[in-house]
Amino acid sequence: MKPFTYVMPTTLAEAGEAAKKPDTIVKGAGLDLVDRMKERLQTPAQIVNLLPLKTEMAGIAVENGELRIGALTTLTQLEQHPALANRALEGLRHSAATTATPQVRHRATVAGNLLQFTRCWYVRSEAHRCLHGGRGPTCLAMTGDNRYHSVLGWMDCVRVHPSNLAPPLLALGAEYSTVLDGKVRRRKLSDLFPSEPRAQLAEHTLEHGEIVTALHIPVQPEGARSSYCESREKLSHDWATTACAVRLVMSGDTIAAADVVLGAVSPVPRPRPDAAKVLVGKKPSDDLWKKVAELAYAGAVPLSHNAYKLTVGKAIVREALEQAAR
Amino acid sequence: MSYEPKNPREGVEITVGYRGLGGQPDRLEKRTVQPAEGDAPPWDANTPFAVVGTDVDRTDGLAKASGRAKYAYDITFPGMLQAMILRSTVARGVLTGLELDEARKMPGIGAVVALKEIGNKVRFVGDAIAAVAGTTLHAVRDALEKIRATYEAEAHTVDFLQLPDAPMLGVTGDIDDEWPADENVDGALAAAKVTHTGTYRTEVQTHSSLETHGGVAKWNGKDLEVWNSTQATFGVRGELAGALKARGIEVESLTVHAEFIGGGFGSKFSAGIEALAGCLLAKEANAPVKLMLDRFEEHTCTGNRPSALMQVRAGLDDKGTITAWDWRSFGGCGFNGGGGSVAVPNYYTSQAKKRASHKELAMDTDPARPMRAPGHPQGWFGAELFLDELAAKAGIDPLEFRLHNDDQTIRQDQWRFGAERFGWQKARARTNEPKARYWHGVGLASARWGTLGNAGRPAHGITCRIHQDGTVESRSGAQDCGPGLKTVMAIITAEELGLPAERVKAISGHTSDPSGPASGGSTTTPSLAPAVRHAAWLARQQLVELVAKHLGVPENQVACTGGKVGAGTAMLPWNEACKLIGPNPIEARGKRFENYKQDPFFRGVCGCQFAEVEVDTWTGIVRTTRMLAIQDCGVVIAKKLAESQVLGAMIQGVSYALHEQRIMDRTSGRMLNGDFLRYKITGPKDLPQLECIMHTVHNGHANTSAAGLGEPPSVAAPAAVANAVFHALGVPLRHLPITPDKVLAALANRKV
Repeated sequence: MKPFTYVMPTTLAEAGEAAKKPDTIVKGAGLDLVDRMKERLQTPAQIVNLLPLKTEMAGIAVENGELRIGALTTLTQLEQHPALANRALEGLRHSAATTATPQVRHRATVAGNLLQFTRCWYVRSEAHRCLHGGRGPTCLAMTGDNRYHSVLGWMDCVRVHPSNLAPPLLALGAEYSTVLDGKVRRRKLSDLFPSEPRAQLAEHTLEHGEIVTALHIPVQPEGARSSYCESREKLSHDWATTACAVRLVMSGDTIAAADVVLGAVSPVPRPRPDAAKVLVGKKPSDDLWKKVAELAYAGAVPLSHNAYKLTVGKAIVREALEQAAR
Repeated sequence: MSYEPKNPREGVEITVGYRGLGGQPDRLEKRTVQPAEGDAPPWDANTPFAVVGTDVDRTDGLAKASGRAKYAYDITFPGMLQAMILRSTVARGVLTGLELDEARKMPGIGAVVALKEIGNKVRFVGDAIAAVAGTTLHAVRDALEKIRATYEAEAHTVDFLQLPDAPMLGVTGDIDDEWPADENVDGALAAAKVTHTGTYRTEVQTHSSLETHGGVAKWNGKDLEVWNSTQATFGVRGELAGALKARGIEVESLTVHAEFIGGGFGSKFSAGIEALAGCLLAKEANAPVKLMLDRFEEHTCTGNRPSALMQVRAGLDDKGTITAWDWRSFGGCGFNGGGGSVAVPNYYTSQAKKRASHKELAMDTDPARPMRAPGHPQGWFGAELFLDELAAKAGIDPLEFRLHNDDQTIRQDQWRFGAERFGWQKARARTNEPKARYWHGVGLASARWGTLGNAGRPAHGITCRIHQDGTVESRSGAQDCGPGLKTVMAIITAEELGLPAERVKAISGHTSDPSGPASGGSTTTPSLAPAVRHAAWLARQQLVELVAKHLGVPENQVACTGGKVGAGTAMLPWNEACKLIGPNPIEARGKRFENYKQDPFFRGVCGCQFAEVEVDTWTGIVRTTRMLAIQDCGVVIAKKLAESQVLGAMIQGVSYALHEQRIMDRTSGRMLNGDFLRYKITGPKDLPQLECIMHTVHNGHANTSAAGLGEPPSVAAPAAVANAVFHALGVPLRHLPITPDKVLAALANRKV
C-alpha cells in the first residue's frame, strides 16, 4: 500500500494550504474514495479530510432570502431541512431523499455528490485500460457493453455523470462557492462541469487545491415548482438509468419560465434550454410534455446497447414535467 | 406420549397423507410400515405434536442478529496472517512464467505458494495462480503486485451463443436449426389440434453468498484445524486431507468447523483452491492463516448458475391435453463444460409423446456449481412460460390448463387452494386500459423436488446428551448453512423429551461430532431429522429408566410431557428428574436408518406459486407486487424457518426473473458487474407482498417424515413472475432477466 498523509485541518485555510500539495485528494465523506483506494484505482500521496470543518461547512441557512447549503451538509440533512419543504425546492428534496441507501445518505455530502467519480465499469476497473485518464488508447465502453452509458453529448468517452443532486440544483439556478489560495469565488453551478466532457478531463472543472465550500439557491420566483424523477431498474440502492429535473414557474395556469435538466445520460449533467423554452407561455398538457421530452433528447446518439434509454428518458421527462405542474 | 421401547415385528399401522387445505377434503390413508430394529416408532398424521410445526424462533437468530455468532470470517488468532490469491488476467492460455521471489522478500510476508506451475493451462479470468500470506492485507496486496506472472494468451469466448457449436439464432431470437426427425413426436405434433413453439433464454446467475468463500487454517504439529465457510463440513475434511496428502503433507487429524455460514446456495460444497491455499500457507508460515475471498472473486471464481437456451414445441388435442412435447436445450457452462443441464416438469406431459435433448457448451469462464435447484429455475421458466403461451393459443385459462394436465394430486389441491386465496380468477379477468401507464398481470407456476433424505448413509448420526442440570444437547457434525438445521434439531429433541424448544441446545458444524450430509439437494433435514429423533428417543429411554426406578413404577408408565417426567400424579419437574443422572450425562447416539421399504405417501415435494406484477409501460420497469406460495415439504418441523426458506426463495426468484445477470466483457473475458452495486439483486424496497402457506404431508417414510425444502420453492418463482409479465403485456418475454430494454422492445413490437 502506498502510504499517504492524512490531513485533519482545523481551519479552511489550513485545508486549502494542504489541498495545494501535489497528488492530493480532498475528501468529504469519502464513501467512494475508500472503495477506489481499496481497489487501488486511486493512490494519493495525501488526503485532506474536510469533515473536521463540519461546524463551518455543513448546514443550511437562509441568507438574504437565498439558501446557503454548506458543502459538507449530508443528504439526510438536506432532505429533512424545513427550508426545502416547499413546492419550489421539492425536486432537490426528493432527489436527496432517494439517493442510494439511508446509510449512505447519512454520510454522503452535497459537494461529494456533485463531484462524484464516474461509475463506468471500464473506467473503474484496473484491468481495463481505457482512454479515461489517459490509461489506454480508446473508450472501451464505446465498443463494449454500454447499456448504462451515455446517449447524449458524449465525445471520446461515453461515461455518464452519476450525481443526482446536480440536475435539480442546475434547474433551480444554483451557484457554488469555492476557495483557492484564500480567494473566495462564486460561480454558476453549470461552470462546475466541463462544457466539452472529454476522457482526459476530470468530472468537474475545479483547479487543483480548490475546495467547494457551499451551494447557493437563489430566491425562487412566485409560482416556482420543481420536480426530480429518475428511472432505475431497482428501487433499493440503484443508480439512475435516466434522470430529469424540472423547474416551472407558473403564472396562473400558464408556464412563465421553465428549466429542464437531464442526468445520467451524458458525461455531464445536461440543461436542455431548447426544450425548456417551448414550455414558456403554454398551459400544462400531456401533449406538451411529450413534445418537450422529444426535444430534450434531440440530437441524442445512442450506443450499441442503450437505445432503450431514449424511450425511458423521454418518459421520465414527461413524468417530471407532470409532477412539477400538478 | 407413552414409552414404546420396541417396534412390533409385524409392523406399525400409521396414518399418512394430509389434511385438506382451506376446507378441501382430507387425503389420509392407513399404512403399515416396518421400522428397523431399534428405531423410534414413527410419528404420523395423528401424532399430537406440542412443538413440531409450531412457530418456534430460529435458535441462533439472536446470536446472528447481535453479532455473537462467529462465522469463518470472524475467527481470529494471535499472530494470524492474512492471505490473498493472485488470479489470472487472461481468460484462456498457458502460464509461461511465474516469479515469486520478489514477493517473498516483501515486508511482513510469511508465505508464498504457487497454485499453478509454468506450462499449466489458464482457464478463465480469475483462475488461481499463487497465494500469499502476510501480516496485513495491504502487505499481501503489495506482495501480489511483485509476483511476475506471464501468460501466452489464446482466443477466448465468454458468450456461449458465440461458440462454434452453439445453435443458430434468427432475428427473432428463436433457434433456427431444423428439428431432427422423430416419428413419435412428429406424428403427435401433426395430429395435434393446437401447436406452438418458442425459444427461451436465461443468463448466468451468481450465488452471491453474503459471506464469501474461505476460512482460517491453523496447524498444531501434524494436526490441522480449519474454520471454513462451507455447506459440507465432512466433504471439506475429506477433500483437504486428500489434497494435502497428494502434496506429501502429513496430516494426523483434521477438524473442520463451520458453526455459522453466511450463505452457500450450492457454491460451498468444495473446499476450493482457497481453503487448500490457506492450509499450505499456514504450514509454510508456521502461523494461522485467514484467506477469505473478496466480492469480485466471489462473483467470478466460486461458481454460478449457468445460462440456458431452450426451445420447445408441443401440441394439444381438442380436450386441451398435451399430446406432444419436444424439447431441446443448451447450457452455457464454464470451461469444464458441465453443470448446465436443464430440468423440465414431467407431470404435465404424462399423456404426451416426448423427446428431449441437451447439449453443454463450454465457455472460457468459471465453471458452474450447483445453485439452489440446479437446472430447475431455468427449465421451469422456459416450460411454464411456454405452457401459458400454448394455453393462450388454445384459449384456455392457465390454471384450468394445469388442472387438466397436472397428474399430481397434491399439487392439484394446492392449485385450487392457492387460486382461491390469491384471487386468481378476479385478477386474471382484469384487463389493462391501453392508455394507462401501469399494466398489471398475474401468473402462476409449479414447483417440484424429490428427496426423502440421504438414507443410504448409516454412518450419519446425532448425539443427544441430557445433563444433570437439565441441559439438553443435540449435536451434529453437519452444518447449518442458514436454513435452520439447529432449530430442527432443537424442535425434534424437545418434542421427544416433552420440553419447550428453547431448552435444547443444538450445536452443529464441527466434524468432531457425528457425521451428516452435505447441505445439498434439500437433504439435510430429511437425512438428519430421523437421527435427531432417534437420539432423543434413546436418551429419553435412559432418563425414563432412572425415573421409573426412582418412583418405583414400571418404565412403560413413565411419560415425558409438559416439562415433566413421571407417571400418573407422580410427575417430577424436568430439572428434578435430571438430578437423578449424576455427573456423567446421559449420552445417546442416534442413527439414520434406511427409509421404510413400504411406499411412502408421496416420493417428492410439490408446490405452486402465484405472482402479480406491475409493468411501467413508459419505462419498461417491472415490479412484482404480490406473491403467494403453497409449499409442502413432508412434515413441517420448524414452521417459521420453513416459511422463511420459501419467502427467501421467492425473493431470489424475483431477483432472477427481473435483475440478476453476470455481464461479461467479450474482449477482456472479465466480469463487468462483479460487485453488489452493479450485479443487481432485489432489495427491500423492491419486495412484493409475500405470503407462504406451508402444507404438511405425512409421507410415512421414516420416523419423522420430513422432506427437503431448500430447492422446491426456488423452482416456481421466476416462471410465475414471467407468466405474470406475459399476462400484463399480452406478449411473452422469453429472455430473463426481464429488464426495461427488453420490455420496451416487446411493447414496441406489440404495437406494430
